[in-house]
Order: sequence, then structure tokens, then C-alpha cells
Amino acid sequence: MSVTVARPRFRLEPYVEFAKVAMAKEATYRFDVFTSVASVLIRVYILRTVWVALYAHNAAPKELPLHAIITYSTVAMLMSLVMDIDQTRVLHDSLHDGSIVLDFTKPMRVPLYFIANGTGEVLFHAVLMLPALGLALLFVHIDVPSLGTLAVFFASFLLGYGVGFCINFILNCTAFWTLEITAVQFIVTWITDLVGGELVPLLLFPAALQNVLLFLPFAAMFSTPLLIYVGHIPPSQYAVALALQAFWLIVLAAISTVMWRLGTQRLVSQGG
Amino acid sequence: MKRLRAMARAYREYWRINVLTTLEYRENFLMWFAFTIVYHGTALAALWVVLTAFPSMNGWTFREMAFLYGIWMLAHAVNNTFFSEVGNIPDHVHEGEFDRLLVRPLDTLFQVIATPGQTFPDELILAVVYFCAATWYSGVHVDATFLIFVPLIALGGALIDAGINLMVGTLAFWFVRVDALHWIVSQLEQEFTRYPVSIYSRSVRLLLTFAFPFAFMNYFPATFFLHKPENALGLPPAAGLLTPLIGLAFVTVAYAFWRFGLKRYQGTGH
Amino acid sequence: MPIVETADLRKVFRSIKRRPGIGGAIAALFSREYEETAAVDGVTMSLEAGELVGYLGPNGAGKSTTIKMLTGILVPTSGTVRVAGLVPHRQRLENAANIGVVFGQRSQLYWDLPLRESFALLRSIYDVPHERYRQNLAHFASILDLESFMDTPVRQLSLGERMRGDFAAAMLHDPKIVYLDEPTIGLDVVAKEAVREFIAQVNRERGTTIILTTHDLADIERLTRRVILIDDGTIIFDGPLERLRSEYGTHRTLVITLADSYPDVRIEGAHLESREGNVVRLRFDRRRLSAETLIRRAMERYAISDIAIIEPDIDSIVRRIYREGYTENAIGSPS
Repeated sequence: MSVTVARPRFRLEPYVEFAKVAMAKEATYRFDVFTSVASVLIRVYILRTVWVALYAHNAAPKELPLHAIITYSTVAMLMSLVMDIDQTRVLHDSLHDGSIVLDFTKPMRVPLYFIANGTGEVLFHAVLMLPALGLALLFVHIDVPSLGTLAVFFASFLLGYGVGFCINFILNCTAFWTLEITAVQFIVTWITDLVGGELVPLLLFPAALQNVLLFLPFAAMFSTPLLIYVGHIPPSQYAVALALQAFWLIVLAAISTVMWRLGTQRLVSQGG
Repeated sequence: MKRLRAMARAYREYWRINVLTTLEYRENFLMWFAFTIVYHGTALAALWVVLTAFPSMNGWTFREMAFLYGIWMLAHAVNNTFFSEVGNIPDHVHEGEFDRLLVRPLDTLFQVIATPGQTFPDELILAVVYFCAATWYSGVHVDATFLIFVPLIALGGALIDAGINLMVGTLAFWFVRVDALHWIVSQLEQEFTRYPVSIYSRSVRLLLTFAFPFAFMNYFPATFFLHKPENALGLPPAAGLLTPLIGLAFVTVAYAFWRFGLKRYQGTGH
Repeated sequence: MPIVETADLRKVFRSIKRRPGIGGAIAALFSREYEETAAVDGVTMSLEAGELVGYLGPNGAGKSTTIKMLTGILVPTSGTVRVAGLVPHRQRLENAANIGVVFGQRSQLYWDLPLRESFALLRSIYDVPHERYRQNLAHFASILDLESFMDTPVRQLSLGERMRGDFAAAMLHDPKIVYLDEPTIGLDVVAKEAVREFIAQVNRERGTTIILTTHDLADIERLTRRVILIDDGTIIFDGPLERLRSEYGTHRTLVITLADSYPDVRIEGAHLESREGNVVRLRFDRRRLSAETLIRRAMERYAISDIAIIEPDIDSIVRRIYREGYTENAIGSPS
């Protein structure tokens, strides 16, 4: 006869603690922080020089004047400071060294633990975007849209971040099966950067390709928020654009949940 | 002399283990091969997209940029195939392995380079194939000079790459964790070698030629073989053929820095 | 009601049969052959609250698999398991609140945090009321002598310090049951003694049920009254330590130091275990031959300068069981 105990009520407190700990840990890597922020300076310089050179000898595309594309690329670079982080790396690490077994002996929801950890890490880097922005402004001029547009951009950025988060989570979940996932993660990151519009605005792609890429989840991560920022997506299309992002977020969140379930099932039936 | 023969033996053994390990972990190898393809593929795809929308960059067309990329890719692949372990020096320092290496009767740096891993010349093969395609595509004239100097330039460029890695690795003796710096230096190398150096301001061009000679990895050789009229710093066109010497000089400087770092490491007994 | 009960617990693992060579690798692409191994094959045990039980077995016997099923990490193939009335793999969160674990090979502390903050984080996870947490922490910090390194990052602690920290961490939330997996591994003699004392005290004063898995049989002798032996997935002994000793510790060793050199040493009824120069070790079954008789026989034949009798220790008993297998009616069977 087993005793029926009501599921313990959910407490946010331990997960907030995890996020705080992760944030503090990121702050200790002072050298890393310094180099990644400082390098923004050089990379912004390169990007400006490249676009100026390209626009100097060619007909500028009418949708994207020079100042717009420089703004686009700079903001894209700042976004990548946060988007490129392997937020749920803890999941992979603890599978790798077996410590996930101990995580499961504690009364906490393990996926939330990983998510809280990753969020803390990302929040720290999000804060770093400010000094990075400051440095970037030394070399380039960025257009600043209206407050309303900025607000929508921010919402779009959050949705895009969520999409990226889920993709990262799904990839880290494959570690339940193969453990060696680094190569695949890089592959996905590069492809995302290319077809998501981080390296090059999707508007520059051949039209046929554009039409496909704009609807993929990768575009939801970079292209959509960026195009809102530079004004290429007008207010009349905001709702549609954000709805598409939300769609991908829901789909990928569902896939993440399934992957987690399958992975943990495998873990608890196969052992460490 | 005996030392050289020992090195030759160690090096042969290094390759034997590399090949065996790679064959053993087949799936792993295929994944990393896919990684290499996607890495170069996305870079070229991005270049293609941009140059389709903006057909000329300072007088360079996509065909010429493809060739520019090809030279860099060749040099980079040679480095990754033969000197890849240099990039792992920080790990060796972190794990305190130098105590073990310093006791052995072989040059420490050589031992590092000859540490077997899963190195396989897949990227090199890919680079050679791509380079041949790019040469044909860009219409470069293949003559004796080309055939003699291209391998030398690839080697020179690889030495520049290795030299950079060596310098960053030496910093590990002081900073221990240099992952972020290594990553950023690699990124910057990629970004600077992607485009003709002539787009930059004069001071940057000087930096990329004489301080961190990325320009010699692919830009100067490319301007030579493509018979480009311009040449970032008004140097004679044949400057492109100097890459092997530049590479040697640069790696010598890096090696000196390495010896300095190693000596300090021995002194402080980390 | 027992606090831990299992009935016919089984865990079967399926692994892919590896076929050698390239041909095998290609064949494996088309059809997969599996082989099944029962790591745990029908384990039935029952523990009352407050017991301190030793769980022994050779490597691969099924110890850690059993523990994993008890802690809810592994789902059994068949059979039932109940811990404090809960089914561990179905009610993981609730079960987790009742248990503490110390895995000797792996720490549950947070590597980069100072010990003190690791504890604070665990307090938050286990939702220990602040006052109780303060009491427990002060108590354990004093018994385990943690004060001197409370503010040191866990990764900088020595093995002994980290282990003591792990023990405190396991107990902070007043668990009903604690699973100890190789808790003294790698520790020096002083640290081992401190840890054993702690375990005994916790069991004595708080009535915490403890399951101790170890290869260090001195832990067993020092701490447990009941021993469960598992081999090849099944339990081969479950009972008081004394019974194990009396039923299987039937041999003794007589150590004789000879006064003269003899080429050949043989005594009727005893088995020559080893000889090093003049020191001879003879094994005998005490049910058939008394020590007195053996000594007399030895002295009749040889000039002896020293004698010692060695009782069987748990180590040799268990080693023997692993080697020879356990038989219920050990009395009466030839040694």
C-alpha cells in the first residue's frame, strides 16, 4: 500500500538562487569578459569598413541604405553576445561527468535547474551589452528608432531569444544519446547565423531563398527583431511578425519537452 | 643526429595513432568533417550572398574573393593538420603537463605538437579540392611559379597561423585561461582575411602586414597571382611570394616568446 | 511498517551485442542483436526505521543498481520498491525530500561555491526552516570540524574536508534515510574514523536509517549489526554480522615461528597456507580441530619459538564467500 502524497507545492526560491549563483560565476571570468567586450570594438570597425567599401563602388539596395545596414550589423553583433551563449551547457556537462544522477536525488525539478542556471548566465552577458554598445558607438553611428519601435523590438528580441534557447536546449538534450555534441552545436550555430540573418541581412539573399528563410525559426532569432529595429518591418506587420515568432517558440518548446522526457526516460531505464 | 631520429620516430608514431583513433571513432570523425564543411561553407555562402548584391569590393569580384579565400583555407588547413596541438597548449598548461614534458629528452614544443589526438587530413584534402576549383573559377594562370610557390605559401601561411596560436598559448603561462582570447583571435583572423586588406585605413594595413602578418597569409599572394594592379601598401607585386619567409620569421619570434614563457614557468614552478 | 521494502526487485539491462570487424559493423546497420543482463535479479529486503545496514558485494554484483532503484534514479524492470511509503521512481520529488545521499566518488556540493554557500543553496532546495537549518549546521559543523574551511571554495578542499562537507550536506534536511556509497574511499585513517563516528552518532541520536555500501570491511565491522550480501544480482546473505562470522568464519589461522629450520612442515588436520623462512601459517577448521590440539601436535614435531592465533576477519570471510559461494548449511560441509 503506497501513501498518496500531494505533489509538493512549487517554490521559485531555489531556482532564483541557481540563477544568482550562475550570474556570479560568470562575473569571475574577468579576463574572458574583458576580451569579449573589447573585441566588439575591432569587429565593429571591420564591419563598418566592409560595408562602406561595398557601398562605395556599388548601387545601394533601396531598402537598405548604408546607415541602415551598419545599424543592422552592429545591433546583430550585440545580440549575438547573448544569443550565442550555450545556455543549457550544464545539462550536457552533468550528463558527461555523471553528476546528473545526483541532481535527480534532490527534490527539485531538474530541467528548471538547468534553465535557471542558463538564464543567470545570460542575464550577466545581457548586462555586458551596455558597455559593448558604448564601445561600438565610438566607431559607428547607430540609428535609434522611436520608443514604440524599440519596445516592439525588445518584445521581438525576447521571443527570438526564446526560440534560440529552445534550439540550444534540444541540442543539449541529444547528449542523452550521444554525449559528443560539440560539433553539431557549432554546425547549428553557423547555419543559424547565416540563414537567420545575423551575418548578412536576409534582404540581400536572392528573392526565392529569402521567401523560404524568412519563415524559418532561425529568422525568428535574428532577422525579425533586426528588421523591426531598422524599420523594414512596418507597424502594420508587427502582429504577424511576432505571431510567427511565437509560433516557433511554442513548437520548439513542445519539442524540447518531448526531448527531455525521452532523454530522462532513457536515463532512468538505462542507468548512468 | 640521434635527436632528429628520435623526433622522426615520435612523429611517425603520432600519425599512426591519429589515423587509428580517427578510424576507431568513425561517427565522431564524420561529425567533425561535417563541421569543417559547414564552417567553410557558411563563410563562402555569406561571401557569395554579399557579392551577389554588391558585385565589386574595392575592385575585387566574387571569383577573386573565392580565390583569396582558397589561399587562406589552404594555409589554415595545413596548420590544422600539422600544428593543431599548438592551439591546445593552454590545456596542457592547465593540466600541469609541462612538468612531465620538461623531464623528457626532447624539445618541449615538439612534444606538444606530436601529441596524438584525432587529427586527420580531411580539412587539407577539402582545402586542396576547393583551391583547385577556385583557381579554375577565378581564371588564375597556372605556371611553374604558381606550382612551386603555392605549397610554400600555404606552409608560410600555416606558420603564421601557428605563430599566432603559439603566442596565445604562451600567454597561458601567465593567465592560465585564455579560451576567450584564443576564440576572439581566431574570429578576428577569419574576418581580416576574408576581405582584401586594401579596404582598411593605412595604419590597419600596416598592422596586418608587419605586426600580425595576416595580409601575407592570403592577400599579397592573391594580388600577385591575380595580377591585381593595386597592392595595399605599394609593395612590389612579388611581395606575395615572400610569405614563406615572413611565416618563418614570424614563427621564430613566436618561438622566442614561447621559450621566454617556458623559462618563466620553470622558474616559478607552477 | 518497514521503512524500506522491496519485493522481488529486478532490473534487466539490454545492451547491443557488438560484432567484431568491419563485416560486423556493416551487419549491425541492418539488424541489431541485443543481449540482456539482469543486474538485479529478484532482490527482496526489508529494513525497519533506525537500522544501520551494510550492503556488500563484489564489483558488478548489483549494489549500485539496487541503490539507484531505491533513490528513484532507475526504474525497475519488475518487482516493487517502497521507501517511507513512497514509490521512489514515481514520486521522485517527495522521495527526494526524505533521503540524503553521500556518493564517495562524486560530491553533491557546488564546486565553485564556498562550502557555506553550498549549504545555503541546499537549504533552499530542501526548504529547511531557517531555525532548524541554523541548528543543524552548527551541530554538524562542530562534530565534523568544518569551521576552518567553511568559506573555502569546494574545489579547493582536500578529499577529507570535502567528504565531511558532503556528510553535513546529506544531513542538513533531517532525512529519514541516508544512502552512503563508498563514503570512506580515499580517506586517511584519521578521517575514516571521524566519518565512522559521525555515521554511528547520527544513527544513534537521530534514528536515521542508513544503508552503507562499502568495500572497506572495517566500516562494516565498526558500524553495522546487519549485513546484506549481494552477488550476481541476488541476495546471498541477510542477517546479523555475528551469524556471518560464526557460520562462515569457521577457519582460523595458526602462525608459528620455528626455532630451527625444517625443510618440510606438515601437521595433520591443518592446511599450510604460507611459509616465509621460519614463519609458518596454518589454516584449520575450528569445528574439527581445536586450537589446543593443533598446538600440541605442532610442538610434538617441531621446536617452536613463537605462536599466534588469528581470528577470521570480515575481509577474509567475505573474500571466501565471493570465491567459493555461500551455502546455507556451512556447518558440516568440508572446509
